[in-house]
Amino acid sequence: MEFNIDDLPVLFPYPRIYPGRMLAGSYMVDLKKTLDAGGNCVLEMPSGTGKTVTLLSLIVAYQQYYPSHRKLIYCSRTMSEIEKALVELKALMKFRAERLGYEEEFRGLGLTSRKNLCLHPSVKREKSGNVVDARCRSLTAGFVKEKKEKGEDVEVCVYHDNLDLLEASNLIPNGVWTLDGLLRYGEQHKQCPYFTARRMMQYCNVIIYSYHYLLDPKIAERVSKDLSKDCIVVFDEAHNIDNVCIESLSTDITEDSLRRATRGAQSLENKINEMRESDQQKLQDEYEKLVEGLRGADDGRQEDSFMSNPILPDDLLKEAVPGNIRRAEHFVAFLRRFIEYLKTRMKVRQVISETPPSFLAHLKEYTFIEKKPLRFCAERLTSLVRTLELTNIEDYQPLQEVATFATLVATYEKGFLLILEPYESDTAEVPNPVLHFTCLDAAIAIKPVFERFSSVIITSGTISPLEMYPKMLDFPTVVQESYSMTLARRSFLPMIVTRGSDQASISTSFQVRNEPSVVRNYGNLLTEFAKITPDGMVVFFPSYLYMESIISMWQGMGILDEVWKYKLILVETPDAQETSLALETYRTACCNGRGAVLLCVARGKVSEGIDFDHQYGRTVLCIGVPFQYTESRILKARLEFLRETYRIRENDFLSFDAMRHAAQCLGRVLRGKDDYGLMVLADRRFQKKRNQLPKWINQALLDADTNLSTDMAVSSARRFLKTMAQPFRAKDQEGISTWNMEDLRKHQEKMDEERIKELQAQRDRELNPPPAAQAASHVGAGQAESDYEMDDFDEAELMALDNNA
Amino acid sequence: MLRKAPAGGRAVASNGTTAATSSLPVISSEDMCPVCKTIRYLNKDMEFLINPECYHSMCVNCVNRLFNDGPNQCPYAGCRKTLRRKGFRSAFFGDLSVEREVDIRRRVAAVFNQVEDDFETLKDYNDYLQMVEDLTFDLVSGTDAQRRAAEATLQQWELEHKADIERNRKAGKEADEQSRRRLAAEREAARQRRMEALREAEEEKLERARSREAELDSLAQGDVGAGAQRVQLKRRGQAAANRAVEAAVNAAVAAADVGRLSIRGLKEKKKAPAPEGPYDPFGGMDFVPSRYKLRAGLTHPGIEKYKHDPAHITGGYSFDEYMTRAMFEAFAGLGVFIEDEKEVGIGLSAGEVATISAGIAAVGDKMELD
Repeated sequence: MEFNIDDLPVLFPYPRIYPGRMLAGSYMVDLKKTLDAGGNCVLEMPSGTGKTVTLLSLIVAYQQYYPSHRKLIYCSRTMSEIEKALVELKALMKFRAERLGYEEEFRGLGLTSRKNLCLHPSVKREKSGNVVDARCRSLTAGFVKEKKEKGEDVEVCVYHDNLDLLEASNLIPNGVWTLDGLLRYGEQHKQCPYFTARRMMQYCNVIIYSYHYLLDPKIAERVSKDLSKDCIVVFDEAHNIDNVCIESLSTDITEDSLRRATRGAQSLENKINEMRESDQQKLQDEYEKLVEGLRGADDGRQEDSFMSNPILPDDLLKEAVPGNIRRAEHFVAFLRRFIEYLKTRMKVRQVISETPPSFLAHLKEYTFIEKKPLRFCAERLTSLVRTLELTNIEDYQPLQEVATFATLVATYEKGFLLILEPYESDTAEVPNPVLHFTCLDAAIAIKPVFERFSSVIITSGTISPLEMYPKMLDFPTVVQESYSMTLARRSFLPMIVTRGSDQASISTSFQVRNEPSVVRNYGNLLTEFAKITPDGMVVFFPSYLYMESIISMWQGMGILDEVWKYKLILVETPDAQETSLALETYRTACCNGRGAVLLCVARGKVSEGIDFDHQYGRTVLCIGVPFQYTESRILKARLEFLRETYRIRENDFLSFDAMRHAAQCLGRVLRGKDDYGLMVLADRRFQKKRNQLPKWINQALLDADTNLSTDMAVSSARRFLKTMAQPFRAKDQEGISTWNMEDLRKHQEKMDEERIKELQAQRDRELNPPPAAQAASHVGAGQAESDYEMDDFDEAELMALDNNA
Repeated sequence: MLRKAPAGGRAVASNGTTAATSSLPVISSEDMCPVCKTIRYLNKDMEFLINPECYHSMCVNCVNRLFNDGPNQCPYAGCRKTLRRKGFRSAFFGDLSVEREVDIRRRVAAVFNQVEDDFETLKDYNDYLQMVEDLTFDLVSGTDAQRRAAEATLQQWELEHKADIERNRKAGKEADEQSRRRLAAEREAARQRRMEALREAEEEKLERARSREAELDSLAQGDVGAGAQRVQLKRRGQAAANRAVEAAVNAAVAAADVGRLSIRGLKEKKKAPAPEGPYDPFGGMDFVPSRYKLRAGLTHPGIEKYKHDPAHITGGYSFDEYMTRAMFEAFAGLGVFIEDEKEVGIGLSAGEVATISAGIAAVGDKMELD
């Protein structure tokens, strides 16, 4: 279908559209507003209802219609989501071509790791991504090619070298290439898909890749450097974006990694000695370049650069490397001293938390390492590794980590903290020290993105409360909006169960979580819902620890035997392979009618990436509020930081974080308009946190359903499931939850009429001022009166507040 | 005990270029003393000491045994250094070659302590840094001749730049001291803020509990007049005002502090909304006369007789009040210049009024009594 938003013609690849996408002040309109204004926005849209295609169709229309042709960078979280987005984009472009009658000049590409895109017969058989990366580099690096040209016998990758024969700006024809399509094309034309995608990024209209390519400064520097400023950046599924930011800048250093770093430094020294004997000139060249400045040494910093560097301020990059690490052997000695210092620090047997400045002061006192050379550490190492033409990069990984740590600790005074934990747990006897270098401020990693790109769109199915994100990530927004769903029928039933059948309140708060009555009540809840739910049921617990303890207690009480009668029981474990096996079994059981219960953890893998659509999930039961483990020192530090810097209170943040995970769990079950499911929140504390749920869930949550006991919940769930069992045709939805062209036109006409009326009324008022003035005086009088009323009203409200408190 | 000490063995094997570096143990064995071959299993608190003369590590017992009776030769095979008990200390680094390097660096850094500001260009500074580094390297791992040359350079530099060195040393010390103080102050401030936040949370909780209790009490007594509710409301408003004023004062103190110490991660926060004080009917005007002074014992023959008239001295009539009013009326309007008033506007600015009313709110505990 085809319609206009303001003056922009949008082609939508499906014959029907959900009203939420189109209504005045809704998704597409807001998006367009943001793009026009050139600002950032945060949008929440119910999951599984075609958010991606809406986004793509509007932005592509925008790209094609306006002359600026702004590039779209679409970031998603997982491989499957990237693939899905590419397929949607392909369908959209096909539709556009049909409608317009010609193929547009358009190129869309997805980028993923080498492991997924490799064609080299032996490299692609490697299991681990790191190994693939390393082997690929050893075949494709610049100096390897040079050697080959010199006639030395070195192994190279044909697929990669074929690329050089092609025209650099046209490695692949126009069109949208899914990852599979790219692989196939690469196979046919014997060219490397990975480097094709990498090199073609500048010439693409749409790029779809993972968050990390933009957020992780170590990767972003290389991959996303050439993207122009007016790109439109979209972060989809962005509810966890702050954690991604933080993780990308945090490092953990262990004794083992230090040991291996020492070994790395040792072999680096050996290499230097070797090279000094064989090829003194190269070292000298590097030295000359470093005297001039870092950037000079790095004009070879391109796609095949070996190691990555954390963010460095630009002025630093232009500056010359400090004299005392210019020579290779000096630098290695410098590294060794730093590593030895860290080793000594790790011997301490009590917990230490330290800010970077105090760490640096101590470091300087004991090793005479100044802050400045430390900042250059990562860049210097990269340069050295390139000069030495090292190929077995994975050996130097720990050394690289240490160098990155050195650079970060010397660059940022604020927003980071060093925490040394000598023991794994409080009860552990054998020390296993870990030095956490944690980033506390999510804004640091994402800041370059906001600075560089004018429009950044952050969107997800569950991103409530919206105002938290701009606050935490420290950026201004043009639009912040949460959209509700319009449904032809109530297709999901959220409920808050606060009491068991015996009216005792249930909660997983620390004091009561192991009380037999609470455990039994949760068990009853599980059995009851297992009885009435058709097919699949998913249960979320706040932590692995609690899940284990409650399962063993249930076993003792015979509750699991009871559940067993109705459903198969499967459990998520921290081990990925076990979990995927459990999931497979779960799917089979759901499909063949046996039905199953999947017990999993609200912060685990299952809660994030796996959809339980249709029969795979008819009930999601969230046992307890999934708070984070608050005794963790890193979390404590982060809370402290949030309070001091952004004025976000500890409890606010914890509750926000818990509720976004809860919402994420709930969202697993509803993946489309013809899907249906129960959402049960089982904890007393959910009652007060209701407002923190996403708008579309909160709206569907009736007041009557916010304080239920188990039996009441079961009876209303029964009723709900009965109505859901009635036949439901796609036609019933039309005009209510989906619109075809006709409805849309009607709606637009209505909107237009309203606007015309409004305009007319305005003109009338302008034309006949006297009655307007009269009206104004009326209003004045009314206001005077209402002033008095206000008082009473105010008081009443305050009293109401009082009673609530 | 037939096993050869690994550390000692390697030291001999790596016998290299110069006397100082010749017999350095490459790895210090953590669990066995290379001299007496005691293992950690037998002596749990075994501690190793080194002497910066030769950097050979040995356990405390050995040191005591060998050197308590005065200077003695190092027990390592091939090492002819004479060591004294006093020179022994425990090593900071696990790798003793690094320990030695750092000791040398300490010596070098004491002499070569130029900072970037001492140089005209960055390039000069970098060249200087490299020169120092080369010199240090010569000292650490150079050949005999190199080492001697480096020593000579070091001494020469020390002689030539004595004043500079002294100055930089002082400046460095000062900077260190300053940064240490700043860190301490920061930590203290952070601690204070944390305490403050904790206290605030606690207070809020208490306050909530208290008001809840009061509410329950008033319910228990029956008679829930609107009056009681109003008092309740007023008290809450009062608490909010108190908090706001306190916050404002704290902010002012903090602002004064800013010059002295930087507070980590402190952002410019939004101004607390102007606290709502009780209504001031005079709009902040005060009635202390400015154009005249009212003396205490002021009298007038005209009113003298009334002072003894029982009709006047009864119930609450005050002659002072009368005098005040009479004086006020007499002077009223004297200082008013219509033109001025027109330009300036009457009275105080809104901000002043707000501040004053906030002040009143802050001290006005008695307000809630009426």
